[in-house]
Amino acid sequence: MAMERELLRHLVKKPATIIYPFESPEPIEGTRAKVEIDILKCIGCGTCIHDCPAYALEMVGKGLTCDMKWYPGRCVFCGQCVESCPRNAIKQTAEHDLATTESVESAGMMSERFVEFNRPKKE
Amino acid sequence: MSNSTYKVPIGPQHPALKEPENFLLTVDGEEIIDVKIRLGYVHRGGEKAFENRTYVQGLYLIERVCGICAMAHQLCYVNNLEPMMDVEAPPRAQYIRTIVAELERVHSHLLWLGVAAHEIGFDTLFMYCWRDREVSLDLMEMITGNRVLHAANTIGGVRRDLTADMISKTRKGIALLKKRTEYYKKLVLAEKTILKRALGVGILSTKDAAELCAVGPTARASNVKKDVRKDDPYSAYDEIPFNLITYDLCDVASRVLVRVDELIESANIIEYSLDHLPTGPIGVRAPRSIPPGENVSIVEAPRGEDIHYCKSNGTDKPERYKVRAPTLGNWASMAKMLIGGYVADVPITLAAIDPCMSCTDRVAFIDANSGKNWIWSTEQIKKYSKKNGGR
Amino acid sequence: MIIEILKLLIIPGIFFLFTLALFYQWLDRRFLARLQNRRGPMHTGSHGTLQPLADFIKLLAKEDIEPEAVDKPVFRGVPILLSTISITALFFIPIWGVKAFVHFEGDLIFMTFLMTLIAILAFLGGWSSTNRFSTIGGLRAAMQTLGYEVPLSLAFIGPAIVAKSLSISKIVEWQASTGIWAIILNPLGFGIAIIALLAELEKVPFDLPEAETELVAGWQTEFSGRKLALLRFAFDLELVLAAGLITSLFLGGPAGPFYNIPWVGVIWFFIKTTIVVLILSNLRGLFARFRIDQMVSGCWKYLVPLAIIQIIFLQLVLG
Ligand code: SF4
Ligand code: SF4
Repeated sequence: MAMERELLRHLVKKPATIIYPFESPEPIEGTRAKVEIDILKCIGCGTCIHDCPAYALEMVGKGLTCDMKWYPGRCVFCGQCVESCPRNAIKQTAEHDLATTESVESAGMMSERFVEFNRPKKE
Repeated sequence: MSNSTYKVPIGPQHPALKEPENFLLTVDGEEIIDVKIRLGYVHRGGEKAFENRTYVQGLYLIERVCGICAMAHQLCYVNNLEPMMDVEAPPRAQYIRTIVAELERVHSHLLWLGVAAHEIGFDTLFMYCWRDREVSLDLMEMITGNRVLHAANTIGGVRRDLTADMISKTRKGIALLKKRTEYYKKLVLAEKTILKRALGVGILSTKDAAELCAVGPTARASNVKKDVRKDDPYSAYDEIPFNLITYDLCDVASRVLVRVDELIESANIIEYSLDHLPTGPIGVRAPRSIPPGENVSIVEAPRGEDIHYCKSNGTDKPERYKVRAPTLGNWASMAKMLIGGYVADVPITLAAIDPCMSCTDRVAFIDANSGKNWIWSTEQIKKYSKKNGGR
Repeated sequence: MIIEILKLLIIPGIFFLFTLALFYQWLDRRFLARLQNRRGPMHTGSHGTLQPLADFIKLLAKEDIEPEAVDKPVFRGVPILLSTISITALFFIPIWGVKAFVHFEGDLIFMTFLMTLIAILAFLGGWSSTNRFSTIGGLRAAMQTLGYEVPLSLAFIGPAIVAKSLSISKIVEWQASTGIWAIILNPLGFGIAIIALLAELEKVPFDLPEAETELVAGWQTEFSGRKLALLRFAFDLELVLAAGLITSLFLGGPAGPFYNIPWVGVIWFFIKTTIVVLILSNLRGLFARFRIDQMVSGCWKYLVPLAIIQIIFLQLVLG
């Protein structure tokens, strides 16, 4: 019976759980989530690929038209690539809603600025 | 075997076990007269995987030995490698490591308290404990960037610094947790139904605990004064005053009390470290490869002492990496605790050592018919993995 | 005749009881969740009110697996018997007025008989499953009956002595006409009945026959699909039965101001049973589970003597 008071106290308190898809938890600064690669800064040294413990990064193509591909399904969000990159081309955002029904392979993401980078070079 | 005894298997799949493992109980009525423990259901070949990864990649693999003692394992890993690389983490890094390691102990013990409550059917306490554990998880997310698998360390230091804002938030969170912990202690001592299920259950005498090399809170609950943080201080533990908690009831109740007291002690350690946080850099550059040599390190994980061994060969990958997770040290005493108890007490007795099965699993080959057993050599494993298309 | 059948099917009958059972399951889940600082069912219906119905329908639609080794006739019979017995027992509870749908002198004894039958069915269900966990769960259910049966019956005798009748309807009638609720003379009996009914309902701290962490789902382990749906439904009905019994025997049933006007009695009954359900779910959140030996010996050591003291007290007071 030692807990009765605590129980009744919680009756008037707001529940600690949240209704997830309709409410999201308060974001915490510095969370390591989605990996974003700025291909304009990248020099293609491959350090991040060498250091990634989960083999989640891949270089696609060669030379000037190459791009970095990141597989969210493999990534363990350790942030080693961010630390390894000599040009600070990689950053991690707090975006964590990365679940998808696609396969690990097809969910791979190209860097977003790839197109912008590629256009002038082709002319 | 006489007619009055029969065998009850607990596991590999059983609601009392959070991970698969098999316990074959021989029972007479409700009393247990013999136990056979069978490991190996979740062997993951982790040690082998280290040999294919660089030391930097290993930093993140080692965390995955155990999700709950991630920091302890990683700390052990860097403590192991730093002397071999001849680097030393600066004092501020050591203090931050201590803070995160203690926060992890807080989260692990609260988690355990919840699980133990659930095992004896006290779901309300389970819900409360896990809710309060959120506070420590949020603090760790703020400090390291992730709730579990923090990746706080790097070889030669820590990866993120503590800012003034983080320090004040941590203080607030810790004060709250301390208040809650004190309440839980009062509750455990006052609630009759908990005491009825915990007192005198799963007895492990001091002599047995010492002889069977029990580790961590399990040993301390049997009045064995054993704590790596005191015996062989690492990080900043030699500069921080704290008490070694022991109880002499030798049963589940004393295991609960040891953990609850350690929660308060951990909170004190964190507060002390925050007060005495040195200034300076948080890391030094470390080389990528290690000259040939070997080293052993020990760390007190929330569940007991965690031993790592590393053998290097001059490249950037280890030749051999071995992990002895704390639960393995407690299996021998597990049998002692179960024998003579009731079947109904098995879940709580099992839970009381805070087992972490997959950290512990070993593999050996046993021919069930002849009882013959053998193990594979490295060459055989290599051949087997090549044949099956391994990397 | 038609009206009788309609009555049986709809208003004090099966449909009404079905709704009530699902509602109390929802209430129990929500209240316990709030006590534990959770939210409980949220999404189906307004505030999750339709969740129990959704669960029920989902279970009905699921595959019904019958293991090879089970004793088929008993295994199939148990869920059906369990729910029919619970419904039958509920017809003895006066809900719409001081008179129950079915009533005769001595139906209180018949009621205790039905409640024992429920426990025996649990045992049979476990035994016929031939699963290790089910068997132990079934045995525990039977053992538990040995513990709570006697104090429960003794507690029920109290109101009967007060009203000088062994019929539930008569007891309610007496309480309604005199305006004295039996709880006033039977405070101990009320507490004992609540504790014993917790055991009857297999809820914490007496959920030994289905102790999740020890016995998977106890005697219900092998039931699935339609059978499990019926079992769960029977449990919900038992909750109504327990709350209804306590209300009728100790709290005056539908008695209260203006209870003679149609519908008012039902509202009183509803308010009182709700309070009893809330008490039961509060107790659920308050304790750890006992061990079977502790449970049985505790019942005999504390509950039985207390129940006897209660009866002696009644005899002294009523002279
Ligand atoms: S965060 Fe870690 S796992 Fe993910 S891509 Fe970067 S290095 Fe690889
Ligand atoms: S480490 Fe940086 S610069 Fe080098 S390949 Fe990776 S993203 Fe490009």
